[in-house]
Amino acid sequence: MTKNNKTKHGYVLLELLFYISFFTILSLLAIDAIITMARSFRETSIQAELARSGTIMERIGREIRASYDVGAISGNDLTLNTRNDTGANKTVKFSLSGSDLELLENGVLTGNLNTPNIDVTALSFTQITTAKGKAIKILLTVKSVNDTLVRTQDFYDTVVLRGDY
Amino acid sequence: MVIEVLIAVSIIAVSILVAMTVSQKSVYVSRQAFHATQAAFLLEEGAEAVRIQRDNAWTNISGLTADTDYYPTFSANTWTLSPTANMVGIFTRTVSIANVNRDNTTKDISTTGANDPGTKLITVTVSWPEGGTTITKTLQFYISDIFS
Repeated sequence: MTKNNKTKHGYVLLELLFYISFFTILSLLAIDAIITMARSFRETSIQAELARSGTIMERIGREIRASYDVGAISGNDLTLNTRNDTGANKTVKFSLSGSDLELLENGVLTGNLNTPNIDVTALSFTQITTAKGKAIKILLTVKSVNDTLVRTQDFYDTVVLRGDY
Repeated sequence: MVIEVLIAVSIIAVSILVAMTVSQKSVYVSRQAFHATQAAFLLEEGAEAVRIQRDNAWTNISGLTADTDYYPTFSANTWTLSPTANMVGIFTRTVSIANVNRDNTTKDISTTGANDPGTKLITVTVSWPEGGTTITKTLQFYISDIFS
């Protein structure tokens, strides 16, 4: 007589179904999380690029503050009469060329103020004349070239010319 | 067997959720940092608007009501301080003027002493909504009647 001590091996169909659905849900969650993280990584780098483009406005502001007169001003070009370290007169020009903001010193192009991954979509200078001097109102609009949503961001500033205050 | 699988799965699920929360928080923080950069320039512009008004005439400053919110407005190629509210994109910018006292003996700015009509304390405030809360940045400075 053989002893019937057969133990049960393998899974019941119900158990299998449970595990399969569980892992499906888990992998969906994981994929969704990976997509979300990739998207937020891209968004974070776009925001960082935009925040760094604030240095463009900072540079324009510093040059205006140090200058003593406005040489020429048109919608998106500004030439400032200023002085260098030794006190000699020089001109500084900000000019929008396509989507690049060019900086010219004494008429010589020294480079773009924007980094290659930032497009300057609009730049506008407005002169304010007061009883004691001049000021420039600046509007700078930038966008990141990596942004598929093509969102533009505005920076506003006004700086009084303090060279000969 | 089942309990080990459940524990392993829940650890993986929780770590994925935590990583997702962190990445979303980083987006919120970087947006806030960018808005703070924009706000810094708006604060500077508010301060320069007050300076432009002072350069035109000190009465533009002294004629304002103390401790009242004014809104810098650009019209006719100059900055003016208007009592009518306005917004710059998502930002609200206000300028308020406070009287300044000077100590009777040292002539230093102090809380006591006599009012100095030639000096005012200016507070520029920029506030904006950020994820359900409002963030406020302020810039305070003294302005003096140096031209009249």
